[in-house]
Amino acid sequence: MSNIYKAFENKKAFIPFITCGDPDLETTGKIVKEAVKNGASLVELGIPFSDPTAEGPVIQGANLRALNGGVTTDKIFDFVKELRKDVTIPMVFMTYANVVFSYGSEKFIKTCSEIGIDGIILPDLPFEEKEEFLPDCHKYGVDLISLIAPTSKDRVAMIAKEAEGFIYLVSSLGVTGTRTEINTDLDSIVKIIRENTNIPCAIGFGISTPEQAKKMASISDGAIVGSAIIKIMAEYGKESPAHVGEYVKSMTDALK
Amino acid sequence: MTKIKLCGLTRPEDIECANSLKPDFIGFVFYKKSSRYVSFEKAAELKKLLSPEIKAVGVFIDEDIRDVAYLLGEGIIDIAQLHGSEDEGYISKLRSLTGKPIIKAFRIKGSEDAALVNASGADYVLLDSGAGDGKLLDRNLIKDIKRPYFLAGGLSPENVKEAIDEINPFAVDVSSGIETEKKKDPDKMIKFVKTVREEFKKGNTMNNNDSNPARFGIHGGQYIPETLMNAVIELEKAYNHYKNDPEFNRELTELLNEYAGRPSRLYYAEKMTKDLGGAKIYLKREDLNHTGAHKINNVLGQALLAKKMGKTRLIAETGAGQHGVATATAAALMGMECVVFMGEEDTKRQALNVYRMRLLGAEVIPVTTGTATLKDAVSEAMREWTKRIDDTHYCLGSVMGPHPFPTIVRDFQAVISKEIKEQMLEKEGRLPDAVLACVGGGSNAIGTFYNFINDKEVRLIGCEAAGRGVDTYETAATIATGKLGIFHGMKSYFCQDEYGQIAPVYSISAGLDYPGIGPEHAYLHDIGRAEYVPVTDEEAVQAFEYLAKTEGIIPAIESAHAISYAMKIAPTMSNDQIIVITVSGRGDKDCAAIARYRGEDINE
Repeated sequence: MSNIYKAFENKKAFIPFITCGDPDLETTGKIVKEAVKNGASLVELGIPFSDPTAEGPVIQGANLRALNGGVTTDKIFDFVKELRKDVTIPMVFMTYANVVFSYGSEKFIKTCSEIGIDGIILPDLPFEEKEEFLPDCHKYGVDLISLIAPTSKDRVAMIAKEAEGFIYLVSSLGVTGTRTEINTDLDSIVKIIRENTNIPCAIGFGISTPEQAKKMASISDGAIVGSAIIKIMAEYGKESPAHVGEYVKSMTDALK
Repeated sequence: MTKIKLCGLTRPEDIECANSLKPDFIGFVFYKKSSRYVSFEKAAELKKLLSPEIKAVGVFIDEDIRDVAYLLGEGIIDIAQLHGSEDEGYISKLRSLTGKPIIKAFRIKGSEDAALVNASGADYVLLDSGAGDGKLLDRNLIKDIKRPYFLAGGLSPENVKEAIDEINPFAVDVSSGIETEKKKDPDKMIKFVKTVREEFKKGNTMNNNDSNPARFGIHGGQYIPETLMNAVIELEKAYNHYKNDPEFNRELTELLNEYAGRPSRLYYAEKMTKDLGGAKIYLKREDLNHTGAHKINNVLGQALLAKKMGKTRLIAETGAGQHGVATATAAALMGMECVVFMGEEDTKRQALNVYRMRLLGAEVIPVTTGTATLKDAVSEAMREWTKRIDDTHYCLGSVMGPHPFPTIVRDFQAVISKEIKEQMLEKEGRLPDAVLACVGGGSNAIGTFYNFINDKEVRLIGCEAAGRGVDTYETAATIATGKLGIFHGMKSYFCQDEYGQIAPVYSISAGLDYPGIGPEHAYLHDIGRAEYVPVTDEEAVQAFEYLAKTEGIIPAIESAHAISYAMKIAPTMSNDQIIVITVSGRGDKDCAAIARYRGEDINE
C-alpha cells in the first residue's frame, strides 16, 4: 500500500491537478509548493500527452504548451525526484496509457516508486485492461487508481472491490473542464462504493468553485480540481504560483 | 504471444519434455561439427515421437540443398533454418523444391545488417547475437529491422524476460541456456517456457485470440475511458445478437444491393494488363458504390444496428470525407441526426465533401486541435461520445478503435473479399495470386483480405501512405515506421516518438493520413500472413494519372497507392498469374488537390 491514505486522514482532501512543464518545470515546482503550503492534501501531476482524448480544451492546451516547451517523461522524473526533497504529501501521476507503455511499463513504474510517486491515474485504462500495468504496480508498490463514471452503473461494485489508493469518481459525462452545474446522482454511486470498499473516494471533473468543492467533498472524501487551476496557469504563466496558491487556499478553506 | 523454439534436441527424453511443454518449435541440428548433431535417421525417429502440433525445424550450415529438400519432403522436418552463408538464390531454389517455410539466420554485427535482414526472401528471419556468452543483442543494432524475427544467442530462463520486455521478438530461440553439462535439462526447459508464457500473460496480452474476441494476437483491446465502457459493451451485445438475426441480415442485404448498388464489379483491366506485361489485373470497383467508396458498406451496417438499438443520432470522424459522406447519407436515409468531425486541414483539402455532407443534412465540425487531420477528428468524436451516449452511436469508419469496432467494421467490409472470391471463381475458375488494397486504418484492406486469410496461396498486400518517404518525418506508413503502442482505444502499431507522443503524420491522401493501423492488420503483419509496403505521394499521383489515362477510371488518391504497387509487381509476375486491386473509392474528390500538386490551380 502506498501513502495515499494519508491524504484523507481526518480531513476532506483537496486534490489539485497540475500539468508538468506548463509553461516550464521550474514554474510547476513553485505551483506545487504553493498548493501544498495552502493545504492541498495530494497532488496530481500530469505528464503531457500529444492526444489527450479524455480532456477538454483547457487541459488539452496545457498538454500542448508543455510539449512545445520541450518537457519529456525523463525530465519530469528528474523534476519529481528534486521536488520530493521538499514535498512530503502523496503525489500521483496522471497521464495516458501510451506514455507508460512506450517508456517500458516496468521501467516507468519502477522509476515512479524510486522517485516517490504513490499512484498512477490513466483515464484510458478501464477495469478490463488494468492487467496491462497492475502486476508491475503491485511489484513496486505504486497504486493504480480506478475511475468510476456516471455511466458505470452495474460496474461500480466490481471496480470498487478491486480499487487501490483512492477512487476517482467522475462527476459528469464528457471530458474534463469546468461546469456550472453537476447533476449526476453521485450520492447513490458513493453509497455503492462504500458498500464495496474502505478506500477513500474523491470526486473530479467540472469542479471550480469553493461551493462546488464543499458540496462534492460533503458526499465523498475529497474534491479534485484541474481545469480551473490550468486556467490560472494559462492566464498568468510564470507568474501563476501565487495566484494558484490563493485559489487553493479558497478551496481548502471551504473544505475545513 | 511470443513464440518459443527449443533448439538442439537430441534424445527421446528431450522430445518427451518438449511434448509436455508444447513450445511452438523444436530444432534438430544437422551440422556435423555441432555437439548437438543428429543424423537424418535419428531425426526421423525423434520426429515420430514429437507431438504433431510442435513444428520441427532443421538447422543447417551450407548443407547440400538436395538433403534439405529431402528432409522437408519426407516430413522429418517442417521448416528449414539456414544458418550458413546461403544466399537468395539458395532460398528461392529451396522454396521451388519444397514450398515449405524457410528461416534465414543472420549474425548481427552492425546496424547496417538491418537492410539485409529486411530484404531477405525467407519466410522468417532469425537474429543471432553470435556471442554465446549470455549477452543479448544490442537493441540499437536491430531497431531498423521491420519484420518479425526469431531472437537467438545467449538466451536463458534468467534473461528471457528482459529480452521480451526490451526487444519484443516474434519468437525466442534457446539451446545452451536450457542445458546442464551439454545435455538438455528438463528443469531449465520448464523454467524457460514458463517464464516466456508468464511474461506474455502479464505484459503483452491477457488472452489469446481464441478466448478473447477483443484481441488479435496481442493487439486490440478496449483502452477507453470508463465513461464509454458500458456503451461498447452494449454495442457488442447488440451486434452479437443482430449479426445472427435473419431479419437484420435481410434488411442489410437489401440496402447494400438496392441502395448502395452491390455487388460491385470485378473488372478485368485489359489495357493495364497488356501495358504492364505481366500478371492479369482485375479491379474490384468499390468506387462504383453509392457515395463513391467502400465506406458505405460499413456505414449501412452500423446505422441499421444503431437504429435497432434505439439510437437517433450518429456521430462520425472523417479524413478524406468519404466516411463522413457515407454516414451523412445513411443518416438522411434512416431519418437520424448526424454530426461529422473533420480535421480543419482536411476540410480545406476536401471542400467538396464538406459541402456534400451539409447538403445531406449533417453538421460538419472542423477540428482545430493537434495536426487538424484524421487522428484529431477521431479524438474529438470520442470526446463527443463521452458527452452524449444515450441517444448517440459513434459510427467509426475504420477497423480501429476499441473492441468491438475492429470486428464489426471488418465483418461489414468482408463483403468485398466474399464477392471477389465468387467473381474470380466464376471468371477464372481459381483464386487470385495476390490481392492489394490501400491501408490507413485499414477497412477496405481488411475487407479485401478477410475471406482469403485461410487461402495461404493468396498474397495479401496492404499499401501504406509513405508521404514524402519512409526516411522522412512526413510519412504515414505505420508498419514501416511505427512501433507498438496504445492509442485510440487499441493496442497496435503507431507512429510515435520515443516517449510515446503520437507523431504528426503526413500523406497527400487525407484518408490514409493516420498514425496507426487497425489491430487485425498489426496481427496479420506479426504472423507474416499479410505484407505491408510503403507507397509515396509521387508514386500514388503517378498511378492516379496512369489509371485515368489507361483505363478511363479516376481512382481515389487513397486507392492509387494500391494501384501504384500493383504497377510495380505486375511486370515481375507471369502471364498466368492474377492480381486483384481494390479501387476503394472514386477520385473526383481529389482532382483539385492533385491539380494543385502538379502546379495547376483549377476552379472547383
